[in-house]
Amino acid sequence: TQICSIFNDAQRTTAGHRKLVVSLRKVQESCCYESIKPGKEAREQFDEDDFNVEIARCVIKLMSVKKSEGVGDRIVRFLGFFLRHASDKDAVLVPESEINETGSFSETASTRLTSHILSILLQFLGSKEKTVRYRSTQLVAHVINSLDSIDDEYYHLLKMGLLRRIRDKEPMIRVQAVLGLGRLAGNEDDGDQESENSDDDDVSGLLEKLLDAIQNDPSADVRRSLLLNLPLTASTLPYLLERARDLDAATRRALYSRLLPALGDFRHLSLSMREKLLRWGLRDRDENVRKATARLFRERWIEDCAGARANGESGALREAVPPSIDGLLELLERIDVVNSGVEEGIASGAMHAFWDGRLDYVEAVSFADPFWDHLSPESAFMARSFNDYCHQQANDKYQTLVEEKMPEVTKLAFFLQRYTNNLVDSLCRNSDRHEADEEEDTVEQEFIVEQLLHIAKTLDYSDEVGRRKMFALLRETLSISELPDEITKLVVDVLRDVCGAEAAGEREFCGVVIEAIAEVHDAIAVDEPAPNNEDESFHSARSEISDTTPTRVKGPRNIAGNEEEDGAKAIREITINMKCLHIAQCMLQNVEVNLHQNVHLVTMLNNLVVPAVRSHEAPVREKGLVCLGLGCLLDKTLADENLILFIHCFKNGHDTLQMTAIHILADILTSHPSLLALKDAESADVAALQKSIFKLFSKGMKAEHAPEIQSAATTALCKLMLTSVIQDEDLLKQAVICYFDPATKENGGVRQALSYFLPVYCHSRRDNMERMARVAGSVMHALVDMAEELDEGEEMVGISMVGNMLVDWTDARKLVVQDEANVSWDEAGKKEVKAINGDIHLDLAESLLENAIYLGCSREDKRASIAMLGKLYITANSSTEKLKKVTELVIQAIDDKIATDAASRNALNKLHVALSRAMGEPRKSKKG
Amino acid sequence: KASAPAPSKRKEKEPFEIDFASPLDPAIAEMIYTPATSNASISLPKTQWKSKTRNLLPDDKHFNSKQLLQLFLKPKARMGSRRQIFG
Repeated sequence: TQICSIFNDAQRTTAGHRKLVVSLRKVQESCCYESIKPGKEAREQFDEDDFNVEIARCVIKLMSVKKSEGVGDRIVRFLGFFLRHASDKDAVLVPESEINETGSFSETASTRLTSHILSILLQFLGSKEKTVRYRSTQLVAHVINSLDSIDDEYYHLLKMGLLRRIRDKEPMIRVQAVLGLGRLAGNEDDGDQESENSDDDDVSGLLEKLLDAIQNDPSADVRRSLLLNLPLTASTLPYLLERARDLDAATRRALYSRLLPALGDFRHLSLSMREKLLRWGLRDRDENVRKATARLFRERWIEDCAGARANGESGALREAVPPSIDGLLELLERIDVVNSGVEEGIASGAMHAFWDGRLDYVEAVSFADPFWDHLSPESAFMARSFNDYCHQQANDKYQTLVEEKMPEVTKLAFFLQRYTNNLVDSLCRNSDRHEADEEEDTVEQEFIVEQLLHIAKTLDYSDEVGRRKMFALLRETLSISELPDEITKLVVDVLRDVCGAEAAGEREFCGVVIEAIAEVHDAIAVDEPAPNNEDESFHSARSEISDTTPTRVKGPRNIAGNEEEDGAKAIREITINMKCLHIAQCMLQNVEVNLHQNVHLVTMLNNLVVPAVRSHEAPVREKGLVCLGLGCLLDKTLADENLILFIHCFKNGHDTLQMTAIHILADILTSHPSLLALKDAESADVAALQKSIFKLFSKGMKAEHAPEIQSAATTALCKLMLTSVIQDEDLLKQAVICYFDPATKENGGVRQALSYFLPVYCHSRRDNMERMARVAGSVMHALVDMAEELDEGEEMVGISMVGNMLVDWTDARKLVVQDEANVSWDEAGKKEVKAINGDIHLDLAESLLENAIYLGCSREDKRASIAMLGKLYITANSSTEKLKKVTELVIQAIDDKIATDAASRNALNKLHVALSRAMGEPRKSKKG
Repeated sequence: KASAPAPSKRKEKEPFEIDFASPLDPAIAEMIYTPATSNASISLPKTQWKSKTRNLLPDDKHFNSKQLLQLFLKPKARMGSRRQIFG
């Protein structure tokens, strides 16, 4: 009949759907409302039931259409379109009086048709065939989403049917089910308040199930569909936002590019949530997520702030909001820039992305003099981030722009001075205040000064007048003992730049900082008229090298002061000492010269740092150790003398001290690799040292009780191995085992460092790869044992996966730098790359085979090792002896029937075949 | 080059169409009307109902080569960039 041909047309393209819907409606009208429209004799023989049955017949036809066929989707859309059109038309036909009587819902031809179709679909939802389940679920979901209302009776049946399908084993079906249920959940949420007593647990039950699915469904498609189709309410929002960390990149991106822009004003989110979303998004591992987040920030969030101002409260027009600096400042305030704008905070990254995409703001922003008169944390940060952004551009793209907009050195120094004075004044007022009084909040003032110093770091100090002004200011600032640590650090950093890069500059820098340290130190003496201390003060001792007098002697007092006063003095002493050490540490971080070329540095080490290391106050001692460590980086002899001390700190210290010790040791060894090199002379000493250092790393890597230490030790070891300072095979083996050990699963620091390190290590140097090949066999052995002894609830990567990774890490084709063995230069000087040498995998094969044949290893172990054999790269370009040797071993393995299953036998045969082929081939090139 | 697209075109299969006019094939009808023997056979195994991690990423440590190349104590000094005084 006519219906069939309409459906036939509808499946081809969606373009004609509008027309087809209208004609199908005509057919429906002629069947159902014949009394209203008489005269069409031809169709009078059909009534409403016939029409419905015919449609249903087409629906049934649809059920067997595979998911991959676009035809099916088009019919689904067509049906949805038609049902909506038909119900709308019917609604018009129903007299208004009737609507009022029944409330909202009345039965029409179309609702009867819908019910008929749904009743048929319901029985298919539990079909054995996944295609049928898919199409029926899809159609149900689509119908639900097309219509405004559904008969109560079917509503509940559908819900039950779909709820069963969110546990379907096919992800594609679950996707359709949640599409339908998402809509239902939205409806129920609306009606929540109205019908409280109806079926409350049912209502919350549905949403609860969907929220359970968004967290637990193994398919990312399902989770993403839920993300985009769940109603946005206060109760669902935490679950939706949590998807910012979903395993699947596309889901994370959907959150940033679709859900969040649709969410409305971001200012409704909590402060910590805004920060988290920005941080997660901008630092995502997937570039597209990062881009989507950047766009969200610079296009939507700014408009929430800037748009509202421009358009009053309406904010109706979203497009083309002119740049509003006040809006930008509000945005910065809304992301709590005082906290998120610190180093490692997310505000810098966010603003970088902002300037990057908003040229209009780059042009509009202005930093004329009045701007600097009333700095707020937000405006200071804006200036700083703009300045950073311009300086980070390649090819000095914005060099002129930033020079035009930013004040020159002299001016900036002037502003810096003003805000530093403000800060110091309030700090002093605070310290004069009694304990009961409320302290002034100096956080914002500190923040402003920090931003100015960040700008100062990028300035050009070739102008001598400006340079001097800045130099004097910084020098003066540094000797203020109340200065907060972060500002001290920045002042020292800037001072280093101001002094100039060359050796003379460095000397001047050290001199001036040490002077400042002395001044800070003398602050103790000022309010302490103890008679014996004058000679021992740091100030007087600094002019000559002296390792005798410690800075402060807690000697016996002549006057027995009251205890309280003593306590207060001791605290002040520690504070000042810490301050001096902090300045020293900041200075040492900026020094590169050899220690012996700078007498002042040696003096400072002896008079300030050495006593601190011996101090009885733990914080002073630790700070002293860091400074001493920094000193060791500058001098190999000093380092040599103190290695034992740092090892001792690791062995006997508490957790933080152990971390510090690991960091110091790693840095020292990186700076002076020769300390570990075995030479003829003192080789016994060095060997002992080496042993204790290896032991230290080994112990650190196993420190499961202290994840921080474990992670520090692992990272440090990775560095030292990558730089070939440590080449120990046993440590390498431990590192690999540590990587797979279920015990390190929760320790992201360890796992992520190793997952970066292991392939880079192996693929970067042939030596490293050979080392890995040598330990691979015993690693397998250890890991198979580990897998067998897993405690309940522990999970570990499959052993075959481990095998694959080991094969990959020892695959010579993956060496990034092919060394002399493979690359040579022909007469014309052109680079010639020879075939890749396959010796490494042959070595691996040998050790694996020997393990499998001779060692009484377990069946699991054997199977895992043999499986690896099938994946090796065997090439003719290998040492003939090795090829022969491995061939013999394979033949023996096959003869001994060590393989107990088909897969293992295949792997052995495969290796055998590959070997024979490699042996048979004429050698293309001989190894040099 | 002109011949290149030809074979790929040939591969394209006949566009699938539903013949709505024809009666339902009994084999297909049976397929459509057969319900699953048990709910379990078409459902997700219970073990997959819950995900331990809630399908979330672990905290990123943002480990990168930059971190490997800097010193712990002197983040600004790059390894190897230091002037070697005693070689």
